[in-house]
Amino acid sequence: MIRKLWYISLGCVTFALVIGYAIGGLWIWTLPIIGLAVLWLAGQRRGLKWVASVDFTLFVGFAVIGIWQELSFALMLLGMIAALAAWDMDYFQQRLEDMERVSQREVLERKYLQRLLIIEVSGAVLTFTAVSLTVTFSFGSALLLGLLAVIGLSRTIRFLRHESD
Amino acid sequence: MRRLLFLSVLVYVLLILGLATANGVIIAFSIPLVIHLAAALFFAPQNPQLQVIRTLNADRVSQGVPVTISVSITNHGPHLEEVMLEDVVPDGLEVMEGISHVRCEMSSGQSILLEYSVRGIRGRYLFHDIRVSASDRLGLFHRQVVLHAPAHLTILPHVSWLRRVSIRPLQTHGYAGPVPARIGGSGVDFFGVRAYQAGDPMRWINWRLSARHPHAFFTNEFEQERIADVGLILDARLRSEVRVNGQSLFEHAVHATASLANVFLNDGNRVGLLVYGGYLDWIFPGYGKLQRERILQALARAEPGESMIFDKLEYIPTRFFPARSQIVLISPLWVEDLPILIRLRARGYQLLVISQDPVSFEAQGLGSDPKASLAMRIARLERTLLLRKAHQIGIQIVNWQVDQSFDHAVHSALGRIPLWFRAVGLGLRG
Repeated sequence: MIRKLWYISLGCVTFALVIGYAIGGLWIWTLPIIGLAVLWLAGQRRGLKWVASVDFTLFVGFAVIGIWQELSFALMLLGMIAALAAWDMDYFQQRLEDMERVSQREVLERKYLQRLLIIEVSGAVLTFTAVSLTVTFSFGSALLLGLLAVIGLSRTIRFLRHESD
Repeated sequence: MRRLLFLSVLVYVLLILGLATANGVIIAFSIPLVIHLAAALFFAPQNPQLQVIRTLNADRVSQGVPVTISVSITNHGPHLEEVMLEDVVPDGLEVMEGISHVRCEMSSGQSILLEYSVRGIRGRYLFHDIRVSASDRLGLFHRQVVLHAPAHLTILPHVSWLRRVSIRPLQTHGYAGPVPARIGGSGVDFFGVRAYQAGDPMRWINWRLSARHPHAFFTNEFEQERIADVGLILDARLRSEVRVNGQSLFEHAVHATASLANVFLNDGNRVGLLVYGGYLDWIFPGYGKLQRERILQALARAEPGESMIFDKLEYIPTRFFPARSQIVLISPLWVEDLPILIRLRARGYQLLVISQDPVSFEAQGLGSDPKASLAMRIARLERTLLLRKAHQIGIQIVNWQVDQSFDHAVHSALGRIPLWFRAVGLGLRG
């Protein structure tokens, strides 16, 4: 189940980014995107755990570059959300495969997918909402908000790292 | 943890990139990642409150016998979305059936049973820790605890069947047994002749001798057979351990000691044990099944060890063994040990050395290199010389090639050679 969805997610990332870049006329960029997808597939077959994080980072990078190049926002966001889902599923799959015995595997998988779906959908909706809203800030206020966001996030991450073993 | 950090770094990079390029969409791209992190924080597991009960179907078994271990883990805390439970199996044990770890979801009050069977080599094993790692469903936030449920498992050494080992200590006990006591009385073997005493059975009268002395009668005496004190010394010095192709010479020594203890105790003797190695481990001399168990337990925990003090045999506590008793030393034997053995002989101990041959054992792992072959020849000559010297001072030696059975080695070295066999000059031991 998870494996199938992982393939679908990887297909989605590749499709969204390739189409996005192709529509924008940046054909040459489609090759490394396809290469990344192949690398991730090969990495998973060979059990290379680091490939998932590297590929995910690069896919996010391609999505950001796409935004910077003013390509289709929807396709770039779809690519990024799908990459995030594929990265998370990859790890979940590894966790299950590392254990010889998983009690009620189907239940675990189903609940995990429900959670992931909710998170990804809310992420996409919130991002869309954030981009659709137009609020005018002065540069100073934007900087202040940005700083506040960075500080708030730092504190949250520090708290998470402290709490997590 | 790494994933949490990785995701956080990615969020930072997007924020900084967005701010640097003054592009709000790039900043907005960090929202899905932030939601991921927020979900991890929201659903982060609390400290697991678990209760563990461990049961073993046997706490002492012979080598090769499987033991079933059951670990029941009950959640007395809040619901755990995903938890990994792993019973740490001590090194040296092999899981044969079942699994010692599981990943599952645990609601409050729920119990999970881990059941598996293990098998292992001789030793004393301590089951102690159960590792628990609880995480949220996305696996970003972890809490790890180690639960303790101690239990001991002793795997006793293998005891092989052995025919009676003939020993002749200078002193025996008053109870009847199999050891010739060097005292005349009732027995089987002829011991001597003495003057007739009232009450002697008629069939004991030596009629031939009595016929030559018309005014006196003479009675045959037989050698009494009694039980004796036997002290087993297991050489557990690190230098006596040789490992070749995953096989250990010390394990053979332990097996020999266990088999000897078994046969001596079965004969009714009083047997003690001293494990001489990194430290001294001893079992005072005793009789019977309980003593057998004590000795096997001591042998189960015996390990080769190194010590500056006990590097030589000269610190063997001789007061531990009754005077003029039988001592059985199980050791590969080194040249430096010979003076100590001479000293033990001088104190009146009857010595039997079971010497597992380290040269032949090590030769198994060597190829056909001419230099190695030459070295082996020299080592063999040195060993032969050492064993011959020990034999000359009255020590019984069993030179045991560990690839042959222990029973065969003991009885070809100590067994009585039939008279007719000796008469034709065969069966002489070199």
